[in-house]
Amino acid sequence: MVDAVFLALSVLTIGSAIVALEIRSLIYGSIALMITLSGIAGFFLLLDAPFVAMFQLSVYVGSVAVLILFTVMLVRRELIFNKIEDKRRRYAGIGLMLALMLGIGMIIIGSGMKSMETNSPSVDYKQIGQDFLTYYSPALIVMALVLAASVVGALTLARREDITNDQRVN
Amino acid sequence: MSTIAPQFRLSRFIGSLFDIIFWVLLLFSLIGLPVVFIILFYIKMPIINHQLLTPYLALTWMADPSRTLPIIKTLLHTTFFHVIAFPGFGFAALLAAATIFVERKFLAKIQLRVGPLYCGKIEGILQLMGDGLKLISKEIIIPAKADKPIFWVGPLLFLGTAAALVSLIPVAPGGWVVANPNVGLLAVFATIGFFPIITVLTAWAANNKWTFIGGLRALHQMIAFEIPLILSLLSIVILTGTLNLTQIVESQQHFWWIIFAPISAIVFFICIIAELERVPFDLPEAESEIVAGWLTEFSGMMYGLIQLGTYLKLYAFAGLFTVLFLGGWNGPSVWPQFPADIVTQGITIGPITAKIAGLPLFDQEMLNGTLWFVIKTVGVILMILLPRGVFPRIRIDMLLHTGWYKLIGLAFINIFIALGLLYAGVLGPGGLIQ
Repeated sequence: MVDAVFLALSVLTIGSAIVALEIRSLIYGSIALMITLSGIAGFFLLLDAPFVAMFQLSVYVGSVAVLILFTVMLVRRELIFNKIEDKRRRYAGIGLMLALMLGIGMIIIGSGMKSMETNSPSVDYKQIGQDFLTYYSPALIVMALVLAASVVGALTLARREDITNDQRVN
Repeated sequence: MSTIAPQFRLSRFIGSLFDIIFWVLLLFSLIGLPVVFIILFYIKMPIINHQLLTPYLALTWMADPSRTLPIIKTLLHTTFFHVIAFPGFGFAALLAAATIFVERKFLAKIQLRVGPLYCGKIEGILQLMGDGLKLISKEIIIPAKADKPIFWVGPLLFLGTAAALVSLIPVAPGGWVVANPNVGLLAVFATIGFFPIITVLTAWAANNKWTFIGGLRALHQMIAFEIPLILSLLSIVILTGTLNLTQIVESQQHFWWIIFAPISAIVFFICIIAELERVPFDLPEAESEIVAGWLTEFSGMMYGLIQLGTYLKLYAFAGLFTVLFLGGWNGPSVWPQFPADIVTQGITIGPITAKIAGLPLFDQEMLNGTLWFVIKTVGVILMILLPRGVFPRIRIDMLLHTGWYKLIGLAFINIFIALGLLYAGVLGPGGLIQ
């Protein structure tokens, strides 16, 4: 059962990733990207990590994919993209990808991760929260600072001086 | 004057009936029965009364109510029944359909009109059925320059996502919920995130300026109100220490969370009105500005599916409000006790008295819980419908200003209140008040 689901998810994820790269229509490309991201959420569900899976869905599909779709719909694509089509580039890309996958696969198979316990119970999300607030608290603080800085940066960039306040409110 | 069948002869009619019966019997015995047995070979049948249920046994038991009841009881607790009928689609669709009719009469009464009146003699109660038949019988028109695959799939996806939201709502104690994941509230957030995508894709696919403007407005509105919606629910998560919706309901046995999180409740209520695109936030389908917004090009049953999805979503959000703030199924026990002699003495139906064991199919607790859940949910639905009769539509800049500035700030205030109560040791896991 799990094997069949895993195979189906792999075909869906990799297939729609290839479609997202290759298809002409930008809208269909972004839809395929959404399916890829949902497929990765499915992998997290198979790995007994529903917490990460739900965040994958709500952040990547619910927000990032919406942003991509929004950009694609609003921007005239001739202005920002110029087509460079080259057979050799494509083959080089495929070769590079194969080499990378082979290398990473060799490292992972050699690293003893294959002797992983697969029937262990899923990690409780409360445990993740406790670890974050105790042992990994410096990482949490750094992440919070980075996010706060990016929010402040976004607000600064989006602020427009040419709108007066009485236009902005009510 | 009969113009329908001028060549009608009774003998030919009876002959054709026998023909049909012959072919049905032949096809059933040659194809139907083998298929049934092949399927039964692969399906794992349940064990009822210490006996493996075979098709022959099931047919025998159908004659005897005391043996049929265990089968029905087993059926009631299968996932199939949960999805199709009770806490799932059937129940929600019934409530949603009733909402459509009640909304029209309710608004009419607010505005001193009569509302639907003629269809079905008594206060127009058959209006809904008439509307449904009209939608089914109408032609589905696809615009010539529409992007056909997305345009066809859009209403189905919308309905499916709304049904996924419905499946997460716990209705009654004792496991009456379709899906009960440990991270239920996160699943709600993940499901809500699909609505803007579907909306803007269908709006784009119709290739019409009204739909596209409506879709962009819907996108702005949903994204802007999703963040305060999530933030307003965080105070409940802090107070209960869990994300599971059933456990959140069980934590409200003695008091409702609306007492300690009133600001969150108000923010969440405003956010669900905006997410549902209802007045005063109905800019995506503002009929006086942009025809019907992102629904302009839909016709026939495609429009019907989106309408059903919208009202399912309305039920789901009202149920979520009930579950999180109003105590879900908790309430005083008002359902009458089952008379004990039903089981021992039997029921008298006409001239026959039947003694049936294990008759109350649902226990009293579950029926009581369902009653309270439905009462509270209907109350919340009426509160959501009410602004439509009262308020005008607001401008888009006021809407975004409300969403991004005011509601997020208000939601944070209640998060700090909840944190204060938690750290003071008053509420929450291990607090003074349990």
